[in-house]
Amino acid sequence: MSNIVFSTWRDEFIDNRGKPLEEWSETEFKLPETYHGDKSSKAFIGWDGVAIFTEDIDAVELASQYAAQYQQYSEACGRCAPGRWGGRILYDLLDKIARGEGTHDDVAHLKEVSQTMMATSKCEIGKTVPKPILDLMEHYKAQFDRCIDAQVPSKHYGGDTSYIAKVTAPCTDMCPAHVDIPAYIEGVRDMIFTESLQATRQTMPLAHTCGRVCPHPCEDACRRANLDEPISIMELKRIGADYETDHQVPWLHPKEPKPPRNDGKKVAIIGAGPAGLTAAYYLALEGIHVHIFEELPVNGGEVAVGVPEYRMPIDKYNKDIEFVLQMPTVSITNNHRVDADRLKEIDAEYDATLLAFGTRLSKKVYAENENPKMGGYWGAIAMLDKVNLWSKYGIGSPASNELKDKTVVCVGGGFTSMDVVRCSVREGAKKVIMLYRRDEGTIIRNTTYEEYHEAVEEGVEFIFYSAIEEIIDDGEKITKLKCNRFELVPDPNGGRAQLVKMEDGDFELECDYLIPAVSQAADLQLIPEEWNIELTSWNTLLTNGKDYMTSRPGLFAAGDCEYGPMTIVNAVGQARRAASVISRYIYDGKCTLTDDEIMEDHLNKLKVYDKKEKITGWMPGLPRAVSEKLGVDERKDNNREVNLGFTGEEAIAEAERCMRCYYISMVAV
Amino acid sequence: MSRHNSLGLGKEITVTINGKECKSTFGKTILEIARENGIYIPTMCYLTKTQPIGSCRMCLVNVEGVDGAILSCQEKATDGAVVMTQTPELYRERQNIMKLYNVNHPLECGVCDQSGECDLQNKTLEFDVGDQPFTARDQHRPVENWGHVSYDPALCIMCEKCVRVSTEITGDEALQLKFGGYSSSIVNVKKEKNYASLGEAAAVCPVGALVDTNFKYRTNAWELTKIPSSCSHCGGGCQMSYEVKRDTIYRVSNHAEFSTLCGAGRYGFDYANEGVSKDKEAFKSAVNAVANAQSILFAPQISNEEALILQKIKEKQGTKLICHEARAYQKFMRAYGSITGKNLFSGTLKKISESKGVIVFGTRINNDAPNVKYHINMASKWHRARVAYLHPIRDEEMKNIVTQFMHYAPGSEEAVAAQLVLALSGEAETMPQNITSVLETLDPETLAAQSGISSEEIGLLQNALSKKQGFSLVVGSDLYAHPRAENIAKLLALLERYAGFNVVCVPPAGNAMGVSLICDLDDEIEGMSVGYNVKGDFTLSALGEGDLDMPAMNQQEGTLVSNDKRLVPMHVAKSYGGYILNDIANAIGIEAEYTIEYTTALPQLQGFKQEAFDDLPDYFDISGREHRGYLLDEVNIALDQTIEAVESTKNMGPVVYHCNPVEQFSPLTAKCEAITGEAQLVGSAAFAKETGLDDGQRVLYEIDGVTFSRVFKIDTSMSGNIALNPSYDMGLSAALLSSYRFKSVDFSSTKNEEAGS
Repeated sequence: MSNIVFSTWRDEFIDNRGKPLEEWSETEFKLPETYHGDKSSKAFIGWDGVAIFTEDIDAVELASQYAAQYQQYSEACGRCAPGRWGGRILYDLLDKIARGEGTHDDVAHLKEVSQTMMATSKCEIGKTVPKPILDLMEHYKAQFDRCIDAQVPSKHYGGDTSYIAKVTAPCTDMCPAHVDIPAYIEGVRDMIFTESLQATRQTMPLAHTCGRVCPHPCEDACRRANLDEPISIMELKRIGADYETDHQVPWLHPKEPKPPRNDGKKVAIIGAGPAGLTAAYYLALEGIHVHIFEELPVNGGEVAVGVPEYRMPIDKYNKDIEFVLQMPTVSITNNHRVDADRLKEIDAEYDATLLAFGTRLSKKVYAENENPKMGGYWGAIAMLDKVNLWSKYGIGSPASNELKDKTVVCVGGGFTSMDVVRCSVREGAKKVIMLYRRDEGTIIRNTTYEEYHEAVEEGVEFIFYSAIEEIIDDGEKITKLKCNRFELVPDPNGGRAQLVKMEDGDFELECDYLIPAVSQAADLQLIPEEWNIELTSWNTLLTNGKDYMTSRPGLFAAGDCEYGPMTIVNAVGQARRAASVISRYIYDGKCTLTDDEIMEDHLNKLKVYDKKEKITGWMPGLPRAVSEKLGVDERKDNNREVNLGFTGEEAIAEAERCMRCYYISMVAV
Repeated sequence: MSRHNSLGLGKEITVTINGKECKSTFGKTILEIARENGIYIPTMCYLTKTQPIGSCRMCLVNVEGVDGAILSCQEKATDGAVVMTQTPELYRERQNIMKLYNVNHPLECGVCDQSGECDLQNKTLEFDVGDQPFTARDQHRPVENWGHVSYDPALCIMCEKCVRVSTEITGDEALQLKFGGYSSSIVNVKKEKNYASLGEAAAVCPVGALVDTNFKYRTNAWELTKIPSSCSHCGGGCQMSYEVKRDTIYRVSNHAEFSTLCGAGRYGFDYANEGVSKDKEAFKSAVNAVANAQSILFAPQISNEEALILQKIKEKQGTKLICHEARAYQKFMRAYGSITGKNLFSGTLKKISESKGVIVFGTRINNDAPNVKYHINMASKWHRARVAYLHPIRDEEMKNIVTQFMHYAPGSEEAVAAQLVLALSGEAETMPQNITSVLETLDPETLAAQSGISSEEIGLLQNALSKKQGFSLVVGSDLYAHPRAENIAKLLALLERYAGFNVVCVPPAGNAMGVSLICDLDDEIEGMSVGYNVKGDFTLSALGEGDLDMPAMNQQEGTLVSNDKRLVPMHVAKSYGGYILNDIANAIGIEAEYTIEYTTALPQLQGFKQEAFDDLPDYFDISGREHRGYLLDEVNIALDQTIEAVESTKNMGPVVYHCNPVEQFSPLTAKCEAITGEAQLVGSAAFAKETGLDDGQRVLYEIDGVTFSRVFKIDTSMSGNIALNPSYDMGLSAALLSSYRFKSVDFSSTKNEEAGS
């Protein structure tokens, strides 16, 4: 049972004031009625309306505080005339009324300024701030009138209500790392590329990497899609990162790094992949000492040894890595495999330990006669390790020794399988086949249109709706695969369509190598059994998904080993939060969240993006910029980076399409 | 090869604005198309020469079928769009924005420098805002003095134009926004540099927030007469106006909406040869000296018309004409033209600004030609251009623009030119056999060893430019007086002719390009000489130290040739009471009533047109197209496509580099008060060690017969075995310098002298 007294959130109108409880209507939105723990909220106010959770609300102060927060947060704005002065006038007039010094003329002025702000402001923050204020002035008019007519302060004016605000944007909210996307895009639009990069690095240290190989979930929450096509958010991130290296500017931090604390506190991180590097960076930014233990001789985790050079050039990734490792309080030991005994030592020695070792075990395809030791059976992780260690670092030997002129079949459908087949092409395989249980549309959704399209161009043969039933070998190596074909049968009851094996659909594929790239699992051998660490049903490390502490105090987990095989940006987001929690935990032994993090989680639950919203004030039909790629003949036999990135003209045009959908929301507690 | 064009730019479109059908191309904004078609849309923050800013929101328009108001300065017009720019609702919103702009804006227009030319004033009246209905608590925000310019945050409307100019155009990147809503302001993050280029930021300020410190409170804007002219300092010929009252120049302004003026152009205006009357005796001696002169030496700070008078004197009496810098440029361009078949380089500044890759070679461009540097900066900002800067000395001022610094040994320019040709001329199958056979003899490693630019660096440069189109090559006056200048010219010309480079050969300061096209110049001084702004046996001087006074550039009318190959007019800003060169010419029988009669007589064979001075246009149209004077015609010349092998060079040891500080170009700029400073020999620590000079020591040395006496200063940011030696303060001796800009100088006499004294 919710206790919503009043709400105008997202055009839902609820007014339960004065009604008996049993007649109260409910909201369909996940509004933050409880702020945190047992602390309840009095009200929530934001870009899309206002929700009141107590009859005793001081609506006048709520409105004036919301305007005040807009003033305070105007670092996100102040970039247009209506927003800059309008916002100030809103606050001054509302506070005047709340103090008991207002007039009815002030109300008229408020309405007029609000109208101009909503019609003309540059970003959504200026366009949306007046909405809930006008709602309050309309539906809590009596409170405003009383302040004016009696010239008295509002009922709890200057009382002990705290107002906690947060600026977000639909893309920022959707991004697992909550990158301040409109800010870095604005940096490109302003051609102040250093600011663009600094904006990215507030929450995302791997700007080179996530400007190249992020699957950009943010673009699914881009409001521009409601008008025409989403902004090419990911590629714009690369602009600032490339500027830093092109112009050899000193490392750009989002804020001045704090001096080393040298207070004896130290944090251990297991794994130098995206999660480990991210946590190390944000802890180091606070001056906290961090030591990373890395099993491999090279740094960067799966992005270094898994993601191929043509997609993620190592010299660019090394910039991100160097950026983290050059921090004065970060140190690293390579070639250091942590096992259960060693982890016990580390756990005892360090004030906190973050597990960030990823998922490096290739799962099986579950076919008959599947024997991972059979010749020609090559797990995707091992295969990509071989390719990348050689091509990026000169370690080992070229995979073309194995793959040249051979037939390769990969089973998969995600990014890893795309990397496998496209690397196989580059290693000189005669024929490369991707076997996938589902259809083309799904593989594109799982990866990107570009990935799929480029693989097809490079000559990869895709066989859809198929799976291996049996692996046939000659006792030494795999020779053939017996495959089944499936069809998608719609559920007559309207449920999810089912894959059904087709009669007479079986076929055989001759092959030299079978590379399963179905999924990966976490290698949990390093967890001491006696710790009884709780795991998820996926056999990953269990946390509450908010503070990232495992069931053992002081032992944290982030990235794929916590979530299961997921994206770089997900690992970054988790690791940054974990670093924040750890930075407090090592001093007070408590797992706490900041107000900003609590609000971040509330907004994420509420969902910021509304795909049904109608966009006004923007010219539709301006094409999304697409960067130039190497032609297929220029790329398929080498490791040159395929994506040439935006030209300056494309970058600016794309940045100009961004609608700066900043929103401000606030909870009264 | 089809060009990657994901934006679909350039497609023909038709849009209807206020009922008028307008043809245009996709990529243009609604506002641009409206302006091209003479349709007015009000703006406060729009600046034609930068990317749209979008802070004022005044330019909102309605588009049929689209909800809400559309920002016309930024939004590209789509085919078939029907636009309305004037509705009662739009008027009300624009009026409200003006009311907001007036919140707490001080109303003491009477003491504001901008009054009379203030956009806020104008639009407040236009939108009939008679009072200040909205109020907010005022803030105390004191004025800041930043040197050349001062900033008053209380007057600032945060339109961001100044920041855009500082970022996109001049590239000093000194100005930034300090976000903070109502208390937002502009900050100068490089105050200590006191960039004179911030004058341009002040020029675009629509209100009185950013103003020239020296001009402040001196007069009302409306009392000044604007005299349009062109700047003669660096050879850029940039548009400018002298603003004059009672024969005093108060300031220089420019059409900052469309063009840009550097600090020297803006602040180097106050020198004129004043208080001169007609000294008949001196004039008689001058006529006599010119009539009997075997040589006339002159500085390149001269108009085309006067250069033509000198040429006519030569033609009449066989006098040798000596102008060292122009002569070097002339020979360089002739050699260059033997490969390209044109009398001048084909590149333009606009194309530099549109480049995706720029190579700067043989010039300290930020000092030598600020307007060219601005265009390189535009390419960097608008097109993310790769910029390779090839020079023996790193220039920290270019750091934010340059993506690759490549240092070569002084003297090795020919090897560097050959390296560039080998790396970048591609597979030019059309190149004549005799040239390719010479190129084939060149060994990249030998060249690399000579120049000090490694093959790896060249490889990086090649990679940076791969898969890109639109390259520019900017070369400068380090090369023109090089002993191997002609072969260097020919090598570089291959890049224009066979690799499609947009090449600009930046002329030396002054009107060197004009002189090189007009005068038949000689190499050596012979016999009795007359110097014009140079020390001669008889000296005509605008600097006030000669045998007969001459007018300064701001006291003459005439034309210049800009480094963008445009003939541009100059007008008289300040009166002059003495004799001029034309008087002397008349006295020896070369007759014309006014100097500007020679404008029509400028040599058509060199691309000049027969247009009279008084008919020369001097404006920019509403879309920013330049209509000043005219562009020189392209002139075909005979091809002689031969090149020579590269000669080996030897290490020059410690060298001084002839280079003026930023904003200084000649003895004329040296006399301008707002930009003065003490000229010093500034060298690296390595140079000090090698030469044995101490920081702060005064040294005497000689270059081309000119004796310098300077205090030596160590600059720890410099590397290499090099010192910078300015010449702008050398008065009538400056134009005597004729040699290659890098010079080995013997400082031993100095040391002996010091020891002996």
